Amino acid sequence: MATFHPQLELLTEHAAGSLSVAQSACVAAHLNYCAECRHSVVQLQNIGTALFESADPVPVGDVLLNRVLARLDEEAPLHHSSPADQAGSNATPALLQRLMQGDFSDLPWRKVTDALRITRLQTGDPNYEFALYHIKAGGVIPDHGHRGSEMTLILEGGFSDDRGTYHPGDFTYRRQEDEHAPQALADQDCICLAVLDAPLRFTGWKYRWMNPFLRLHAG
Amino acid sequence: MQVVGEKQNVWTAPTGRRTDEWSECLTQIAEHEDRAAFTRLFRHFAPLIKAFALSGSTMSATHADELVQEVMLKVWQKAGAFNPEKAAASTWVYTIARNCRTDMFRRLQKFDTPLAAEDFTPEQDGEEPFAQLQSKRSGERIREMMADLPADQTQILAKVYMEGKSHAEAAAELDLPLGTVKSRVRLAIQKLQVQFERV
Ligand SMILES: [Zn+2]
Ligand SMILES: [Zn+2]
Repeated sequence: MATFHPQLELLTEHAAGSLSVAQSACVAAHLNYCAECRHSVVQLQNIGTALFESADPVPVGDVLLNRVLARLDEEAPLHHSSPADQAGSNATPALLQRLMQGDFSDLPWRKVTDALRITRLQTGDPNYEFALYHIKAGGVIPDHGHRGSEMTLILEGGFSDDRGTYHPGDFTYRRQEDEHAPQALADQDCICLAVLDAPLRFTGWKYRWMNPFLRLHAG
Repeated sequence: MQVVGEKQNVWTAPTGRRTDEWSECLTQIAEHEDRAAFTRLFRHFAPLIKAFALSGSTMSATHADELVQEVMLKVWQKAGAFNPEKAAASTWVYTIARNCRTDMFRRLQKFDTPLAAEDFTPEQDGEEPFAQLQSKRSGERIREMMADLPADQTQILAKVYMEGKSHAEAAAELDLPLGTVKSRVRLAIQKLQVQFERV
């Protein structure tokens, strides 16, 4: 059961369909672990339904009706298998599995520091980078600030920072002004999903030299 | 806007289950491929879908008609997946309309993603019947309470849901500080008694 959840604002935009693909995928992945937020999203969608039902109808002619009636015998397009019924389980969310097309070990990990490796997944989102971080047990992501926003969801293991200790399913959202240095729990490597709209900015002297090389890879 | 929460044609089905005309239509479609039921459903929902498509007026009338077709075709194809115990027919249709619109916006922006909007809905078949019933009740309650919201809150909810705007876009359009928009949305949601985890 998750302890850290997306803010109401993010859940609302997710429910209304206005969150960007990458961020929405991260919120959806949290829902996989969290019955409370699933329940909230259902209620938030009910607000959408109420507004939809009470909209002033815009007339639609019979031409359109007949066009649809003529198409009813069409074969429904095959959609790839929809997420399996694994909500509430701790397995990797189906949405991520599809983006990964394999196991964590099959991905092309790129080494950033001795403790940190990163691999990027393609969501098609033009504004947000969607990446998996692999932090060695006990390892630290160097002290950093955020030039934009950073959404994180723990998938395996866990980490702690100044706000608490995060376990699988836990969600954090950091803004520009926040600085932190997440450290993976001592007994297990940590894999988390990170969604960013600007590269991190390392603040410690040891890693500051890397900043000019940190680039955002959206898409 | 019409009065929200106005109940239409609610009756008790022979099975003793409370149902409504639109749920019955969906069941008829699923079980008998009933075109007459589909036509009734179309006449009711197509004008609402078109209103939904055109709100915010970023979509052309041609695309709005395309969306109506796409949504209603999906309604026909997926009627078998509708579960009246879980949601009202209008909730189900709204969800399809919202997903199709999101996908259409992304297509129009030449935005190539391997994910379709419906992939973002977690599969909730494992949910307890009690939780399903609760969700359905909360939907009825929300519809009734919407009518009592102050106009400034309804206006922002309409921007967020009907027009699909982010809080930041709503703030820019209404010429309001982002903080004001966020607190109005939050206030409205609290008044509608939506439960959420505080962070
Ligand atoms: Zn949650
Ligand atoms: Zn960070």
